[in-house]
Amino acid sequence: MVNSTYKQWVELLYLLVLKELKVRYKRSFFGYLWAIANPFVFALVYCIAFKFIMRVQMENYILFLLTGMFPWAWLSQSVIQGTESFTNNQSLVRRVVLPKFILPLSNVMQEMVHFIFAIPVIWLFFIVNGEHIYFGPMVLQLPMMIIIQVFIAFPLTLMGAIMNVYVRDVQYLIGIFFSVLFFATPMVYPLSMVPADYQFYFTLNPFYWLIDSWRLVFKGEIIPIYHLANLAFYTVILSTLSLYCYRRLTQRIAELV
Amino acid sequence: MVYVNGVWKTYGNSNQVGIKERIVGKKNSRKESRFARNWVLCDIGFNVHSGHSLGIVGHNGTGKSTLLSLILGTIKADRGEINRKGSVGAMLELGSGCHPELTGRENIFLNGAILGLRIHEIHRNFDSIVNFSELGVAIDLPLRTYSSGMSARLAFSVLAHARRDILLIDEILAVGDASFQEKCISYLQDYKKQGGTLVVVSHDMETLKDLCSEGIWLDEGKMVSSGPIDALIQKYMDSIHSEDKFSINLQNKENAVTA
Repeated sequence: MVNSTYKQWVELLYLLVLKELKVRYKRSFFGYLWAIANPFVFALVYCIAFKFIMRVQMENYILFLLTGMFPWAWLSQSVIQGTESFTNNQSLVRRVVLPKFILPLSNVMQEMVHFIFAIPVIWLFFIVNGEHIYFGPMVLQLPMMIIIQVFIAFPLTLMGAIMNVYVRDVQYLIGIFFSVLFFATPMVYPLSMVPADYQFYFTLNPFYWLIDSWRLVFKGEIIPIYHLANLAFYTVILSTLSLYCYRRLTQRIAELV
Repeated sequence: MVYVNGVWKTYGNSNQVGIKERIVGKKNSRKESRFARNWVLCDIGFNVHSGHSLGIVGHNGTGKSTLLSLILGTIKADRGEINRKGSVGAMLELGSGCHPELTGRENIFLNGAILGLRIHEIHRNFDSIVNFSELGVAIDLPLRTYSSGMSARLAFSVLAHARRDILLIDEILAVGDASFQEKCISYLQDYKKQGGTLVVVSHDMETLKDLCSEGIWLDEGKMVSSGPIDALIQKYMDSIHSEDKFSINLQNKENAVTA
């Protein structure tokens, strides 16, 4: 019985993700290309701005940008959109019995699908730039990083969605928060460019470890244990926090959305 | 079976004190009105056994839908207990769990999964669902092109194949045409005979008489009366037409103007 309800929710999650993907691209000509267009164009813009205008001296700067930008797009898009997942789905929250966490989770999963579709594009750029793709280290590390990222993105999305039911300011705050974080996280610049005295403070940012690990994975390197320890620490913290929020605050969501 | 005992519900928003009152220190003097009262439901209790059905009548804003949501379990009662035996299916709102851009076919899957059906079960029952809805080739059109009656046909057809032990239906059948309403009613009568439990909210007294043997009448969150449906509806209709009610309404209006 427990097993069958579990399967049932997995299927519901699948159908919800499919719904979002279908709805988003149903009446657009280029379909899923739009999903990867955004991080892609951003990467190009930054490449032009920093490499050609501000003359940043860095090899393969475009690859550096792309390998950070796509995981970031997954993270920020799912948190920003997922924060409104309860408030925008009133009929599902109020009129239907379903585990509430499935709605923000479907946002995270949907962005994950976009990210996975974008991976070949990143590889293509490696090839065009004359780099090797090291599939060996990627076989294990890529799925591992996807799981880690889900465990970071989902707690954040869940907490955002719950808090947004109580105070609608959260959805605006999250948007601003992520624009600041985009530049606060070593994303368009490497950490080594930050003045040495301040580097330590930048490493307190959990997203630095996330993005840097993604870069290493795409470069075909092994993620250092120190990175993994940091990521494990933050996944545990975020999961615990979100579980606490979920236990405490979901009861009244249906009345408040 | 559904068992409701001594249930109270408040949304807890009647005592909102504004900044002005806080500064001036004036006591919250807002009067309770019919549509903004402290207790949405007060001391509701009834049983519906399997094979039976209950009709709920009452004015707008009297707590009927809140009561159904409580039975469904999406919101929690403040006091009292609600017990259900078996799986619950509900049609509380037109278009809940549907998306206007998806086709009828895709919505059947989404809606079915939300009701708790497995994908393979939906596949197996798909033709039967479409036949029941009589939508024919329209099943491949996006839901936004459907009329509200067509959406109701789709939603009810999925619900009819979900084989839930308890069904909660809120007013939805009203948008269907006469022939579909008849079809739904005969389906629901069969459903009861097979041991299903049914709770219906409706403003259509004929439907209620056809579907239910028992009923309750809610007024401003309180149970005014309960019992066999025919007598209950008679009382309810009498109260609407009676002079008494009319004068009370007038008084309320005067109060509202002076307040």
